[in-house]
Amino acid sequence: MRKDLVFGMAGSGGDGIVSAGESLLQAAAAEGYHGVMTKSFGSQIRGGESSCRVRISTTPILNPGGNLDVAVALNWEDFLKFGAELPVSGTTVVIYEAATKILEADIPLVGVTPLQVIAVPIAQMAKETAGTERAKNTVVLGLIAGWFGIGAVAVMKGIRKKLAKKGEELVEANQRAFDAGRAFAMEHPLKTSMNVVASDTKGQVKLITDGNDMCAAAAIFAGCQFFGGYPITPSTEIMQFFTDHVWKYGGAVLQAEDEIAGIGAAVGASFAGKKSMTATSGPGLSLKSEMMGLASIAELPLVIIDVQRGGPSTGLPTKTEQSDLFAAAFSAHGDVIRPVLAPTSVADIFRITIEAFNIAEYYQTPVIVLSDQEIASRKETLDPIDTTQFKIINRLVPAGADLVDYKRFQQTENHISPISHPGLLGGTYLASGIEHVESGAPTNSGDVHQRMNEKRTRKFDPLKDRKDLFEVTGNPDAPIAIIAWGSVAGVCREALEMAQAEGINVKLLVPYLLYPVAENVYNDFFKSVQKGIVVEQTHLAQTFKLLRMHVDLPKGLKSLARSGANPFLPGDIVAALHQLLSELQRSHEGQLQPQE
Amino acid sequence: MSATCEFQAKDYKSSLKPIWCPGCGDFSVVQGIYRALAAIGRPPHEIAFVSGIGCSSRIPGYTTAYGFNSVHGRSLPIAQGIKLANPDLLVLAAGGDGDGFSIGGGHIAHLIRRNMDITYIVMDNQIYGLTKGQLSPTSQKGRVTCTSRFGSLEEPVNPLLYVLAYGAGFVAQASPTDLVGMAATIEEAIRYPGFAFVNIQSPCVTYGEEAQQIKGLKAISENLAAMGHNPADRLAAMDLAQQYGQKMHLGVFYRNPEPAPTYDGLVRERQAALSKNAPPKEQILDLFIKK
Repeated sequence: MRKDLVFGMAGSGGDGIVSAGESLLQAAAAEGYHGVMTKSFGSQIRGGESSCRVRISTTPILNPGGNLDVAVALNWEDFLKFGAELPVSGTTVVIYEAATKILEADIPLVGVTPLQVIAVPIAQMAKETAGTERAKNTVVLGLIAGWFGIGAVAVMKGIRKKLAKKGEELVEANQRAFDAGRAFAMEHPLKTSMNVVASDTKGQVKLITDGNDMCAAAAIFAGCQFFGGYPITPSTEIMQFFTDHVWKYGGAVLQAEDEIAGIGAAVGASFAGKKSMTATSGPGLSLKSEMMGLASIAELPLVIIDVQRGGPSTGLPTKTEQSDLFAAAFSAHGDVIRPVLAPTSVADIFRITIEAFNIAEYYQTPVIVLSDQEIASRKETLDPIDTTQFKIINRLVPAGADLVDYKRFQQTENHISPISHPGLLGGTYLASGIEHVESGAPTNSGDVHQRMNEKRTRKFDPLKDRKDLFEVTGNPDAPIAIIAWGSVAGVCREALEMAQAEGINVKLLVPYLLYPVAENVYNDFFKSVQKGIVVEQTHLAQTFKLLRMHVDLPKGLKSLARSGANPFLPGDIVAALHQLLSELQRSHEGQLQPQE
Repeated sequence: MSATCEFQAKDYKSSLKPIWCPGCGDFSVVQGIYRALAAIGRPPHEIAFVSGIGCSSRIPGYTTAYGFNSVHGRSLPIAQGIKLANPDLLVLAAGGDGDGFSIGGGHIAHLIRRNMDITYIVMDNQIYGLTKGQLSPTSQKGRVTCTSRFGSLEEPVNPLLYVLAYGAGFVAQASPTDLVGMAATIEEAIRYPGFAFVNIQSPCVTYGEEAQQIKGLKAISENLAAMGHNPADRLAAMDLAQQYGQKMHLGVFYRNPEPAPTYDGLVRERQAALSKNAPPKEQILDLFIKK
């Protein structure tokens, strides 16, 4: 019996692979399992290759998993296009379409002998039972129910609900396709049983959602009442969620004519006193940078969600990467700090988005949230979240004596000045991108510029002491360390558990606050560290370099960086840790040898 | 609206001293704006005045209101965000011809089709003044400037025809040659319930050509009302607008006799309709429950 299974399925656009994955995830949730589903596509809108990974477990899931336990290929050409996104190993059961006419011994997977390979006449069974090959995905779900024990009842319950409006006939056709798949599996048992044990939380309420919807919901919960943006993959669903829901809470959305107008409107709404945001991906972040500088000097709260994809330029629009880190930290000209936060999962993008609004409002600053394509589009099952545990911070509005001879940019002890907004009697001022004195009047005095730069940067000092924006797991005194953020952090969390199980003395630092770099947090963390890796999906090792700019790194700290669309598997990290361990042991041996 | 107390033009004059060149047309424009605002009577704290970058974009600083002197070309997106965040505000946007029709030229068409209740004043001087005299989008073809030593090779934008063609509900032109008329035109634009555009021929005394100074402008100016132009006639307005650059027609080119609903008004209606049965936002995650 298994406690955790990773499915990977691929086919061409019309095969319904993603919809099968969603049915599987929902059925698993209904049966009390934890689940994570990621999708990956070619760039074509129709007819290209599409794939999904579904990981199902009896315990909470940290990432979409490593090598596949079960691979489903509706055709090999499409399956192979996903390369390292759907890795097959010696422990994988491979199920593929018999109509490909490829013998089980000849499947085109180079350098690997799967645990078992099974050709199934999927299309033929769909045609015979449902009258159309379009039911192939339902046959696949039947096979999965038969072989792995997931969704025998719940899958069809879900399909029945989904197709209810389309008539009983279609539901019955799908039932026959599902039953045929299941019967095939029963008649051809696996060499090694891979049934998943029943979950003991069956029947408990679960949420299912993806990172983009969760982010938008968090923003509305935090009190965001304005979204200005422009469609761009893979962030668009955030704007879509707003257009569905924000009106109910007195808010508005502007789908602007371009990225600049989108953030410009958000800056305007913030000036007018409302919590506001925009969302984009790399190319849009580049376009928005001037407005981000404006919001910084005018000290206006604003949240910018950047759902990272492969760059530069159009890059890899549908694949995940972490290479916007430099662009986020140094996103516009001038001497200024803009805080950068990063969630690591669908579950924590809720907290991080609220935190982004709190920081934006408290410090009167734009805040960038670096999400990524994987978190944005992956679906997770979640236990219900108690929203009352989250504190909401609103900007400091002037009142009483503040409004006598009101100075918008007044120097204060904590460098934060009460901020008025149109409509507030006594609070009129000039907001500007030009340097200004305390009242807001323009100046070109070097002296004032120096003082205002100090105000705008030193106000962030307390942020760097926010230890709750960092997560340290493992042995706090370990000599070996991992640092990772964003969706890569989830992979490293699992690697940490695996490495600890193998007896490696290791710890993991996950920063949710990437910028400003919290020197003290890293210095504390590095005290015990002799060897370590900074794991990131960037080609230039941006995280490693950003840390090196601010912190004296231990000599043994290395970079483990690779370009996007080449996912890290937990096993990759564990292998790197073994390497560090042996280096560490060798260096200790070296110290014991007498010098010659 | 809290227009119970009376306001005078001087109540809208800020304590900042304008740093425009002596004789600049923008001195008259800001006077015209003070007078129009006083006539309307909204208190300064209920007014948001947004600009981009350029000599004329300094104007919110010289006005007592909530001002926003933003970045080059982006006054309109910011103004729209303000209007949607708080539709009760009187929202003004202003800037130069380069700000509005060159670097920010992509925004005006979209504001027009959204028809938000925003008044946009362009101080059109056919030159980039703040950067010391380069070719602007409204400079005449053949004009010699420091970036067109041998004469410009391109036709100018026609701001009036541009906004009329996109369907603006209120289009007018004014000039410092007639301060009273300018104040009245700005007032009418602000009172129009929807997007309103006022092009103001504001001479640049430092880099402008002789023909574009007050004397030259007076020579080619003609009052639309005196000409008997019917401002409800959009095609006639477009016909007259074609003479931009040769004639300076003053007054209202076009006022839609049946103003279309505004985007901000429709947003308000949608908010009212959809908020009636909205679950509290603390329960927003219930949307993701799968049973």
